[in-house]
Amino acid sequence: MQQLRNTPFHERTSALCQPQNWRKWAGYYVVGSYEHTIDREYWAIRNSAALIDVTPLMKYMIKGKDAANLLDRVTTRNIHKMSVGQVYYTAWCDDEGKMIDDGTVARLDETTFRLTSAEPNLRWLMMNAVGFDVHISEVSDSVASLSLQGPNSRSVLKRVCESDVEGLKYFRLMKNKLGGVEVTISRTGYTGDLGYEIWMEAKDALKVWDALMEAGQDYGITPVGILALDMTRVEAGLFMLDVDYTSASHAWIEAQKSSPFELGLDWTVALDKPGYFVGRKALEKEKKEGSSWKMVGIEIDWVGMEALYAEVGLPPQVPGTAVRASMPIMVGNVQVGYASTASWSPLLKKYIALAHLEKPYYELGTDVRMEITVEHHRKHAPAKVVKLPFYEPEWKKK
Amino acid sequence: MKTYDTIIIGAGHNGLVAAAYLAKKGKKVLVLERRDMVGGQVVTESFGENFKVDSLHAGGTLRPDIIKHLNLASHGLVVDTVRKPFISLQADSKHLVFDADPAKAAESIKRFSEKDAANWIPFLDFMNKVSRFVHSANAAIMPRLPKGFNASEGMALAKLGINVRMLGGKNMMRIIRGIPMTADEFVDEWFESDIVKAAVASLGLHGFTLGAFGAGTGYTLMHNWANRGGMSHVSVQGGIGKISEALAGAVRLLGGEIRTNAEVKKVVIKDMRASGVVLSNGEEISSGNVISAADPKHTFLSLVGAMELPPEFVWNVQSIKMRGSVAKVHLLTDGKHGIPDGTVVVAPSIKYLEKAYDAAKYHQISEKPYLEVTTSGNVVSIHFQFAAYKLKSGDWKTEGAKVEKIAMDTLAEYFPDLKPSIVNRKVLTPLDLETTYGLTEGDLNHGQLMLDQFMFMRPIPGWSNHRTPIDNLYLCGSGVHGGGGVSGASGRNVVKVLK
Amino acid sequence: MTTNNYDAIIIGGGHNGLVAAAYLARAGKKVVVLERRDMVGGATITEEIIPGFKFTEFSYVVSLLRPEIIRDLKLPQHGLKILPLPSTFTPMDNGDYIAGWDDHDTTRREIYRHSPKDAEAYDEYGRRMARLAKAIKPILSILPPDPTSLHPKDLMGLLKLGQFASSLTEKELYGLAKIMTQSAADMLEEWFETPALLGTKSASGIIGTFLGPRSPSTAYVLLHHYMGEIDGAFRAWGFAKGGTGGIAEAIASSARAFGSEIRLNATVKQVIVKGGRAVGVALENGDEIYAKAVLSSADPFVTFLKLVEAKHLPDDLIHSIQKFRTRGSSGKVNIALSELPRFTALPDQNVLHRGAVSISPSIDYIERAYDDAKYGRFAKEPYIDMIFPSMIDPDMAPPGKHVMSCFVQYAPYDIEGGWDDAKREAFGESVISTTERYAPNIRRPTLGKQVITPADIENITGITGGNIFHGELLLHQLFFMRPATQWAGFRTPINGYYLAGSGAHPGGGIMGSPGKFAAELALKDGI
Ligand SMILES: Cc1cc2nc3c(=O)[nH]c(=O)nc-3n(C[C@H](O)[C@H](O)[C@H](O)COP(=O)(O)OP(=O)(O)OC[C@H]3O[C@@H](n4cnc5c(N)ncnc54)[C@H](O)[C@@H]3O)c2cc1C
Ligand SMILES: Cc1cc2nc3c(=O)[nH]c(=O)nc-3n(C[C@H](O)[C@H](O)[C@H](O)COP(=O)(O)OP(=O)(O)OC[C@H]3O[C@@H](n4cnc5c(N)ncnc54)[C@H](O)[C@@H]3O)c2cc1C
Repeated sequence: MQQLRNTPFHERTSALCQPQNWRKWAGYYVVGSYEHTIDREYWAIRNSAALIDVTPLMKYMIKGKDAANLLDRVTTRNIHKMSVGQVYYTAWCDDEGKMIDDGTVARLDETTFRLTSAEPNLRWLMMNAVGFDVHISEVSDSVASLSLQGPNSRSVLKRVCESDVEGLKYFRLMKNKLGGVEVTISRTGYTGDLGYEIWMEAKDALKVWDALMEAGQDYGITPVGILALDMTRVEAGLFMLDVDYTSASHAWIEAQKSSPFELGLDWTVALDKPGYFVGRKALEKEKKEGSSWKMVGIEIDWVGMEALYAEVGLPPQVPGTAVRASMPIMVGNVQVGYASTASWSPLLKKYIALAHLEKPYYELGTDVRMEITVEHHRKHAPAKVVKLPFYEPEWKKK
Repeated sequence: MKTYDTIIIGAGHNGLVAAAYLAKKGKKVLVLERRDMVGGQVVTESFGENFKVDSLHAGGTLRPDIIKHLNLASHGLVVDTVRKPFISLQADSKHLVFDADPAKAAESIKRFSEKDAANWIPFLDFMNKVSRFVHSANAAIMPRLPKGFNASEGMALAKLGINVRMLGGKNMMRIIRGIPMTADEFVDEWFESDIVKAAVASLGLHGFTLGAFGAGTGYTLMHNWANRGGMSHVSVQGGIGKISEALAGAVRLLGGEIRTNAEVKKVVIKDMRASGVVLSNGEEISSGNVISAADPKHTFLSLVGAMELPPEFVWNVQSIKMRGSVAKVHLLTDGKHGIPDGTVVVAPSIKYLEKAYDAAKYHQISEKPYLEVTTSGNVVSIHFQFAAYKLKSGDWKTEGAKVEKIAMDTLAEYFPDLKPSIVNRKVLTPLDLETTYGLTEGDLNHGQLMLDQFMFMRPIPGWSNHRTPIDNLYLCGSGVHGGGGVSGASGRNVVKVLK
Repeated sequence: MTTNNYDAIIIGGGHNGLVAAAYLARAGKKVVVLERRDMVGGATITEEIIPGFKFTEFSYVVSLLRPEIIRDLKLPQHGLKILPLPSTFTPMDNGDYIAGWDDHDTTRREIYRHSPKDAEAYDEYGRRMARLAKAIKPILSILPPDPTSLHPKDLMGLLKLGQFASSLTEKELYGLAKIMTQSAADMLEEWFETPALLGTKSASGIIGTFLGPRSPSTAYVLLHHYMGEIDGAFRAWGFAKGGTGGIAEAIASSARAFGSEIRLNATVKQVIVKGGRAVGVALENGDEIYAKAVLSSADPFVTFLKLVEAKHLPDDLIHSIQKFRTRGSSGKVNIALSELPRFTALPDQNVLHRGAVSISPSIDYIERAYDDAKYGRFAKEPYIDMIFPSMIDPDMAPPGKHVMSCFVQYAPYDIEGGWDDAKREAFGESVISTTERYAPNIRRPTLGKQVITPADIENITGITGGNIFHGELLLHQLFFMRPATQWAGFRTPINGYYLAGSGAHPGGGIMGSPGKFAAELALKDGI
């Protein structure tokens, strides 16, 4: 019988994973956390260097004369403006302008791109490729990937890479050699910190892991599971498919779908590019008429929350990991939206959430209240709409 | 560079009808046809000395209102008023003859079943109502469901509703039930003799890649009956090509232009809007609107290009079932072929028809085909089913001879004089239908008229109203509702939709 | 003997008859079920044909049984348990296999092995079907109106239908229109490319029909099979504890608990009609029983043409029922085994035996099996859907032994020359020899088998033509055309006489809806 897969790093990760905290991600088992509490892993991302196995990302190679044309048609960005070695973050939509998925596109050379995504997209790419001269192949299993995140990540790479990563700019990539192995390194990540993603052939996975762990020893390198990652991505204001929005191809009803504008991705929608792209008409219309929803950050007022707990004689309680649940958001007695992920930020010492609010409540500074459960009773903690990201260190893009 | 109000791609009868109506409205129209003659499938051609035939479509006529509006009689169109008999061949030569005179037909049916003979006239009466239903359905533009009715579409549909109700509750239900039936079930409601049933049921298969046990052949039976106005074909004096010539005459007289040997290579699209066409020779012609009378698969995948269209739409277009399985065999004889005048079929039993279809299902050529034969003087024209466009083994470059042989052998069993009388032959394979006549996969109807591809599902769900995702680009061939067969309905309907 | 004090008589103790009885008894009515056999259940029975081995004789899996019936009739208290059937395993001709498991990711991996494209299509396809099933579900609980009638009740019905249609999105509406009319093969080939996956999926489109996967309109049957619900979960097929006879037993027990009487060996010969009203029935043994209403759960042919005299019915209806298609096309082979068959494609594991095994290597394989049947022969190489009930419910066979249930298509009721013992034997052999190709040890462990042809189905259950759904699920035999136009609403031209079996809307399968609808209508009519 066909089993779920282990990633090519399994030999290492399984030896380190103390609490047997495994998670299913896209048909793979990955580590949720390596230790019983995730604090050390969280702080590794924010203070030193974290090594995260992100192999389960879906990866596609798109090659051929029309590779750029295809991606320009599928995604919302102007792919023709991309230079070789550049990486774009992008959304892609159905023809009604509702988001199917989001991910990164890397231009490896003039006619070769690598696309990553959360969900399988091969079928969608093929459907769009009719009439194009391209070859699309899925490389999810054959390409392994590691995310090295944190303020010390550059120092670790400088020590272990053949070519210097010093000049590698934000959202650019370079070919390199690491631990004797050919890799591609992109300055990307899902933490909002300084960080890199390293792409290699699956067979070389362990060599790369070992080389990084060894080189990182003096910089506090720490293997980190996806639970700590989840907290940092909320701080960075980054949303997640199936948690913060529903793919248009999964939604049961219209109301479950989101447009890129509604998720705050206005900057990725290149309405000025020429010709047809999927969703163009609908997106033009929404741009003109304005969106009825928007995803924003909200900060729960600590003092207000403390008061709610104090009423029943308790100190305030916050969950230890990011909470993926729908929490109603009110203005007065009317529900005006919901939060889809909330998290305590150990760094900011704030309780924060990604929230979806109706017009006009999504404006910055709006006072709202988020539902919390205090000793089995529903309460509404005061909160405020704030700018995303919640946290952005100055070294992220430098 | 000259510009036109509307360019029409393809001078099939539907394209010509659309052109004539637009010209009549004072529009500047240009029809572009890839062949060296107009008419598409409605053509009379010569394949040798004294070998002039209706190449494909064996007979028929346009909707009477179109003939009248466009004054086609003045352009030389004369449709025969006498309907010839429909004859189902029997091994013992005691053929079943459906004469145009119902009483005579009943007499012939009596040999096979008294009960069926008694049912013949009530059946004809019912089929007249069916024809009224089919014609009013074809005259309506199928709106996009469930929203997006515009006033004129709503009106046409309401009219259809009223017309259907006027047929009476019982007839209405009987027709509605008949649509998804198999041809076998449809005729089984009326007749008991397998021979009678098969003869009538053959109409449900004619031109389609479906068997007598295929759901929806109840509908195609009604469709073909309505288009023919009965079981047999009516012929046009001087050949069916006269229809196209008369239409072309009307277009020109009304100020329209027609260019033959002018194959369109691309529809010019800027900002998701059609603005003209490019010909194979590179010439670019611009226009306000473009109407394609070519089939939808060719139109969207070649002339427009998938890159210009939404992915779901492209997927739906790719999924359009184009399944040619018709071949034609024309025989020039010395006149002593022995075949009677009329529409003559080899359709001896329901299972025979079904077996003939099985061959197409498995991508083969039927060894015992269903044939429909018409004669015109010395020429014998055989409509051959089934011969699959996509062959599992063999190649249409060589298999034409096989079709020819099977057709002649099958007919020779009934008409021993046929073979010695043959002077010249011409076979048109499903591949010829594609390469010579421009029909994707050799599909005569620009897409099978199956239940999931008819009415508001034609050519694809959501686009039944002649419009396309490209602004200013419209469809008017047989691939849209109203089309399939020679009536001109879809060519007429598109004009009502055009801005 | 004459009895005169019932509110309602139910003809036939199949699951629908029993559901009708239970609902009427629950409403305080005095009811009697009259069943011709010596056991209840109809096509939903379990029998110990070989001592110690319980055969789920005809039907074998369940998914359509309405949850509200389970709740209303308290069936779990009467022993109903529906156990999961977690997988479908299709051996292929090249020695490999393709399987669907209950875990989504595992299934995806499995299909991915054969075709990455299909693995993704599988997800998307599953979602679309689930959406369509959800969209069409309300129709199952709308009483079909008569579209030709101007009666307020029918106009209301049409209005409801219209409201339903306008509640759908454009995609759903077209999706439904397409699925109602397409062939299963055409629909599936738009999505998938792996032959064994196509074959297995298309098989759901032909169950119980006399059509092949390439016949237009079979996609609807496919959807019909998607519509089941177990504990609110879409798409789940399960196995009832004790076989499907366990379901009938539970409903019978519930009906009795509500006060209904059930009489076995009581064949109804005729419905007694007085003044245009059904007032009772005459039994084969001469007994007459009177009641305010009569509900027949026998098939439409028996209900209209055998049990009542033609003079009570309009010609139109008689004509329609005569033409109502009930061509049986399926058979069953039930086998007692001393050990499980080993499938060469996956020899060392028992995990596949907990689910279904499908012999459906390609669409053309099934289509050719259909070709055999349409020309009057049983399929030499049939489509087989097999399960091993003893692997799901260990009480079905003695310890260490097993039972195997094979649902087989095609076997035409109208076989050339008629069915006889030799043909039955040969039909059974075709199933064994086909299975042998994939599981060579199948013959060795066989302790005995029961072969059921469509003629046997007719003989044993009384279903005309042996059609498993009391009438094929053809487009013109559905909804307001089931079983006949103008008479699709369970009522009949005879007052107080109702159709309560699978021949009524929404059709066959272990669902219980026709029985429930008919009982509710009878109550509404004030019996
Ligand atoms: C043997 C045979 C028997 C038939 N019998 C029946 C019957 O009994 N009943 C029935 O209902 N129907 C029948 N039909 C079908 C019927 O004839 C057709 O449906 C009908 O004629 C189609 O007309 P049309 O104008 O829509 O398209 P067509 O006649 O196909 O015209 C399309 C035209 O577009 C042209 N074209 C295509 N591409 C280009 C391009 N790129 N640039 C320029 N021009 C282009 C083609 O050359 C062609 O002239 C039969 C057909 C055949 C072949
Ligand atoms: C081989 C086979 C396999 C099947 N597999 C499945 C499956 O796996 N899953 C599924 O959901 N469905 C399956 N079905 C279909 C399902 O079993 C039937 O649709 C359903 O059981 C019919 O129930 P019913 O109550 O409407 O009628 P029946 O079960 O047919 O009951 C009618 C009853 O009426 C009795 N009767 C008839 N005439 C008289 C009379 N004159 N007097 C007294 N009593 C009379 C009969 O004896 C019978 O008991 C299968 C059917 C068959 C035959």
